[in-house]
Amino acid sequence: MVKVNEKVEEELRAIFNGDVPWITIVWDDPVNLMTYVTYVLMELFGYSKEKATELMMKIHTEGKAVVSTGSREEMERDVARIHEFGLWATLQRGDQQ
Amino acid sequence: MSDPQKGFYPHGDHAFIANFSESERDVLTNLSEQIIELLAERIDHQSDDPLAVMVGITSHDTPPEDEVLLRLLPNAYSDQVDASEFRRYTESTLRQKKQGHAMAMRSNLIAAIDGVVEIDRDGANDWLGAINDVRLALGVRLKVEENSPEELQLLAPDDPMHGVYAVYGWLGWLQESLLEAVMDGSQ
Repeated sequence: MVKVNEKVEEELRAIFNGDVPWITIVWDDPVNLMTYVTYVLMELFGYSKEKATELMMKIHTEGKAVVSTGSREEMERDVARIHEFGLWATLQRGDQQ
Repeated sequence: MSDPQKGFYPHGDHAFIANFSESERDVLTNLSEQIIELLAERIDHQSDDPLAVMVGITSHDTPPEDEVLLRLLPNAYSDQVDASEFRRYTESTLRQKKQGHAMAMRSNLIAAIDGVVEIDRDGANDWLGAINDVRLALGVRLKVEENSPEELQLLAPDDPMHGVYAVYGWLGWLQESLLEAVMDGSQ
């Protein structure tokens, strides 16, 4: 079997979508507990505790972090799921950061 | 047995238990009902197509004017045109999902015998989401964006916000206990 890492997967997706990938950004919020942000990222994206904690710290210290990449439709689904759990997320084209 | 100072704790492999006093149960039930009410659809019967409403499409696409609702139903795009379009197709579903979390929490509280609430993993996600929505709502009213925790702690005891801040803090503690219980079980 061919093994591909996340970056290659992104590239493959971009090729078939014929477009630049879109990104989902989670913004820092003074209400949400750090543990809760970590948990939501683990639960919704299947991230390991380490990866989710790293993203949470980035959100906390830098004010935001990209939590997922993919097609526009996929990112709209991700944003809707994140909003369901009360974190504030937005989506945008990946090349307009 | 159940320790009221513990919040939620794991019970067996797939369940979580908390023991609430009568007043705690009343506060939680009341708050879940307020969230359910707050998230009720804004349906404009004059202009909304009933069929579109049924499938979750509404004619309103402007962000909610109420600050609390705007925090619970935020914009998904910085661009206003994209944000409106997204809202038209998704806001109704988001309201229902959030109401669903609060309704599950309310049912568990009403069914609790002697204040003991037992929930499974799905129930835990309902509680985590519902508690968080309540905290977001209280956080807007407490203006936690501008006021530091130190300032909020110094609110005069007769200031209504003093009590609101106490509930806000307690909910954070309760949520943290459930997060620890759930994350402990998933390691």
